[in-house]
Amino acid sequence: MNTASLVPLGVLEEQILLAVLRTGDEAFGMAVRREIKRVTGRDLAIGAVYSTLDRLEAKGALVSRRIVEGGVSRRRFAVARAGARALADTRAMRERLWNGVELKWSGAG
Amino acid sequence: MPPRSSSSQRVRIPRLPIALLRMVLPRAARDEIVGDIVGECREIAAEQGERAARRWIWGQTIGSIRALLPWTLWREGTGFEPIANAYRPGGPVLKHVFTDARYAVRRLRARPTYALLSILTLALGIGGTAAVFAIARPVLFEPLPYANERAVAAFWMDFSWNEQEFAYLRDRFPGFRSVAMYTHRALTMQGSGESTRLVSGVAASAELFDVLGTRPALGHTFRPGDDAPGAEPVTILSHGLWMELGGDTAVIGSRLLLNGEPRTVIGVMPRGFWFPSPDVRAWVPHPINPEGRNGSYALVGLVLPGKDPDQMAPDVAQLVTMLKERFTYAVQWDKTKNATVQSIREQLVGSMRPALMASMVAMALILLIACMNVTALMLGQVEARASELAVRAALGANRQRLTQPLLVEALLIGLAAAVGGAAFAVGGFRMLAEALPIGAWAENAQLDWTLFAAALALAVGAALLIVLIPSAPFWRSDAYGSVQAMLSRLRTGGVRGGGMRAERALVVVQMATAMIIASSATLLVRSVANLYEISPGIDTQGIAVIDASAVPTVPAATRNAMVEQAVAALGVMPGVEHAAAAMRLPLRGNSNSTGITIVGRENEQSTTTFFRIGTLDYFATMGIRLRDGRLFDTSDQPGGELAVVVNHSLANTYFPGEDPIGRLIGGMYARPQRIIGVVDDVIEGQLRTGAAPARYYLWSQVEGGFGVGASFVIRASRGTSAEALLESARQTLAREAPAFAVRGTTTMARVMDEAVGPARQVMSLLAVLSALALTLGAVGIYGVMAHFATRRKRDWAIRVALGLSGSRVVGHILSQGATLVVIGVIVGAGATLAVSRLLQSFLFGVTGTDPVAFGGATLALLVTGLLASFIPARRAGQVDPAMVLREET
Repeated sequence: MNTASLVPLGVLEEQILLAVLRTGDEAFGMAVRREIKRVTGRDLAIGAVYSTLDRLEAKGALVSRRIVEGGVSRRRFAVARAGARALADTRAMRERLWNGVELKWSGAG
Repeated sequence: MPPRSSSSQRVRIPRLPIALLRMVLPRAARDEIVGDIVGECREIAAEQGERAARRWIWGQTIGSIRALLPWTLWREGTGFEPIANAYRPGGPVLKHVFTDARYAVRRLRARPTYALLSILTLALGIGGTAAVFAIARPVLFEPLPYANERAVAAFWMDFSWNEQEFAYLRDRFPGFRSVAMYTHRALTMQGSGESTRLVSGVAASAELFDVLGTRPALGHTFRPGDDAPGAEPVTILSHGLWMELGGDTAVIGSRLLLNGEPRTVIGVMPRGFWFPSPDVRAWVPHPINPEGRNGSYALVGLVLPGKDPDQMAPDVAQLVTMLKERFTYAVQWDKTKNATVQSIREQLVGSMRPALMASMVAMALILLIACMNVTALMLGQVEARASELAVRAALGANRQRLTQPLLVEALLIGLAAAVGGAAFAVGGFRMLAEALPIGAWAENAQLDWTLFAAALALAVGAALLIVLIPSAPFWRSDAYGSVQAMLSRLRTGGVRGGGMRAERALVVVQMATAMIIASSATLLVRSVANLYEISPGIDTQGIAVIDASAVPTVPAATRNAMVEQAVAALGVMPGVEHAAAAMRLPLRGNSNSTGITIVGRENEQSTTTFFRIGTLDYFATMGIRLRDGRLFDTSDQPGGELAVVVNHSLANTYFPGEDPIGRLIGGMYARPQRIIGVVDDVIEGQLRTGAAPARYYLWSQVEGGFGVGASFVIRASRGTSAEALLESARQTLAREAPAFAVRGTTTMARVMDEAVGPARQVMSLLAVLSALALTLGAVGIYGVMAHFATRRKRDWAIRVALGLSGSRVVGHILSQGATLVVIGVIVGAGATLAVSRLLQSFLFGVTGTDPVAFGGATLALLVTGLLASFIPARRAGQVDPAMVLREET
């Protein structure tokens, strides 16, 4: 997996990577879902979150390991170097595009 | 924060969405995610109520399924598995399947004999079974094309009812809502500008289609009154005939010249409709003559609502009482005896069931033998791979993982065999359809998806069956332990001698199966031989037969003149010795019998004999020998006294100890009839019932008798084959007798074959199959014995080194093989006795326990078994101990 295929990140991918970073040590699937809902208001289906997490791991943007807590085995995610770079590149790309843009629109409204 | 169940109140979590989620989630993450979802659902329920929680969980489920399905497919395709899940159960299997498949292909390519043998044997079994299934399906398993199928019953004494009986009983059959009468009728069809041709048709009373309950595709069916004398002649066409006539909807209301009479087409039946057999292409109403006494009709009836066609005994009893009150019957036509009705399915296709079932069972047995061969081969392969399997098991492969390569290999073999089998089946489909005794259904047998579906299903089933035994060790309590045990058993080799129990059992079952097929085949060979042993009284070789029918509107005198002309012209064709025409040929079933009286003994009870009508050279053409008196000659002129030739059996029955020549008889014709000669007995009716009294009239004296049918028979001169004459004879007939349409051409030898009946066809099939079963069985024995010999090679090498003679080794292996065959034969003989009921209807002159048949089959199996074991035995006997002992440690 190379990072080339990661940039630019999709909106969902970007949000999930950021949510993983934001939740830190608590980056389990459901917590990531809740973080996105709390911050953005998007109520994602858990299946969508999991498949995106898996896909990001397959692309090398994330790593995961199992944590056993109280007899329950859970998978905790952390952003990998490639993921961090992809986030930074995606953001930089967007900022280059925004640079010098003035919001104007035409037509009715 | 991972959600914790923060609410103590019990919230009902809907089960369905959770079950759906569990289905789509990867197994490794399933418990974790479902636990989180349930937790959050509880929280929502506590905060916003249960309704909101339920809506939320459904939203989660549907959204998740949408996201997870493509993801799961991607994982299966790529085999991606997060490292965090690597040691958890589940994970994509497809990738391993591909790996195993690649591996299996490599292994199969490295062992081409094993692969080819397995695929070919399975392909034969799969192809045969699938083809018989595809042919039998419409006959055995499809509903008949009648909406009322379950409520339609057929009456006893098929094609023996007459119009008088029907007219009397019509509208008052007890227990029936409606009853229809029908009979087969060949119809000549004259189109504009084309030659006359014959279509098989049915003449029926107007109720027929109401009884069957089938609606036409176009137009309407018969209406009440269509069968009244003088009603406008109408006809209904089959879909096939309609398509041949152009398939135009404007056909309704148009006119067709059928049997020389214009008939209005009132309806076209839907595609796939047939009654009473698929070769019938037109239905016409039959004007009912309430006095008609020609007993050639069959009855079908629609039972009253709530009644079961199979349980009509009380109603039939009542019907019999009505018949008794109104009619008196001669003994052999007594309808008050053995009266019964049966379901229409039983009546129309029931007679084909034994032959089809027997063929299908035989094919399935072949498939079973083939499966066992592959199983035995695979068992050997598993043993050869024991070390590899042990390593896999030691590295943590579980039982699924150990079984999977075997299953994949078996499936590959199975799929290759399905392709090969389907190819066999497609290639041999026509041949097989003709080989099965299913009459007109054979022509209608269609090659369709069923065959391929059946082949595929059989292949998968066979593959599963095949891996059952080889993979059994992995499924015992401890896979690792079993593989270890297998390995140590192999290492000790001959010392512990045991093992191979599964393989021996396989050979026994194979032999038993082969025994079933072979002994059934020998039983049928004996039956059929018995049937051919019966002398029909004619010389069946070298006679060409053309069956024809005339347009009934052509006057009888013209028809007869044409017949005489045609016979004369046929007689002078090159390569023809004699030619004649007859109203009905021998060996074609019971029909056309009529009362006989002996002048001077009129007060005797009236009885009937067969009567036949032929032209001058009929006896010479058929090879019927004169015993006494003379045959017809040119002195027998039309008008005046009728000359009658009787057969030996008639002479014996009616004139015991007297000379029948010159005696006068009565019946059938009002004119005086004098016996001029006695000929040998000819089997006029059915082969199995033997010869019966028969009398023969001269065509020119009785003007062809009644009816419009004629069979032209042509005896080929020495050195000419009957078949070779058929085409030119057909042309001659078309030229000399244009009013006659040819119904079919055949030879007397084939008529004899048909008289022998389905037993002959089932026999041929079983004979081929038993050859196949023996071959497959031999392959099986050879494989197992070879394996046995190899396994004990070291053991024998030591013994030979110590002085055991090579011939003792050979003897030992041969006796091992013979033991297996004998056990198999005994088991198989028992099984044959159990299944011989299937064959009962084909047996003639032998019982199901015929010792000759069983002895013959046993001998064949023993010889095959010993021959198959001899090759590995001899090889083992020639072994050089020094070489073997050095070979491996």
